[in-house]
Amino acid sequence: MTTGSNEPKSRYLQYLEIVTGSLEEKKRYRQYKARIKQLPENYRIAVEALERYLMHFGPADGAGAMAMYDDLAELFEQGAADGTPIRDIFGEDPVEFVEAFVANYPLGQYRTRERNRFTTAIERAAGENTTTKNRTD
Amino acid sequence: MGKLVTEMLKGTLEGIVLAILSGRPAYGYEITAWLRAQGFSDIAEGTIYALLVRVEQRGLVDVQRVPSEKGPPRKVYSLNDQGREYLEEFWRTWSFLADRLEQLRKGGK
Repeated sequence: MTTGSNEPKSRYLQYLEIVTGSLEEKKRYRQYKARIKQLPENYRIAVEALERYLMHFGPADGAGAMAMYDDLAELFEQGAADGTPIRDIFGEDPVEFVEAFVANYPLGQYRTRERNRFTTAIERAAGENTTTKNRTD
Repeated sequence: MGKLVTEMLKGTLEGIVLAILSGRPAYGYEITAWLRAQGFSDIAEGTIYALLVRVEQRGLVDVQRVPSEKGPPRKVYSLNDQGREYLEEFWRTWSFLADRLEQLRKGGK
């Protein structure tokens, strides 16, 4: 995490975060939600549909996911400001856009984890030396 | 623009965008608009945006935030040394591919 202050957290906060997860991430997520609420209705509907789609592929939280939501908000804020039609943002095949988009944010992503596991399994089966590789593209 | 063009474009879009950026810095919407003006009318802005996020993460471009009249600051992308290196490799690969395809068209040897 790069956001938030550098002050050490109180012991209470440390315990609380063990139970609830990072409070900064939650704050960032709430900020993202607030940004989305400000969008014109059709852009908001599109982003919320996109979010719902993403949620189906496992837990979309953590720092990597928050970077993703921030980028999403930025894309749609700019699109709304420019008056870019929804279809021009998503293209003919919205799924293709989402796949290309999500592939940029590997952290905590269920699919990436499974892909890495699969790749490593084949490497092992092929008798190759498997040092833990972190594929990012 | 037909489906075939879209399919064939997929593998080369990254190189195309970097080539555009080698001419001058640009932000996402400019790149999409330029591509559309060149006849790639099915290109989605989101696709270009996702691609720009990717090349940024791979360190091929430098990013500067420039205030815009409306909406959030625009991210202006410019090609850096690493990007230029990548682009050179892209053109080499492209020449190889175009060359082989041309031979195939002429009757294949």
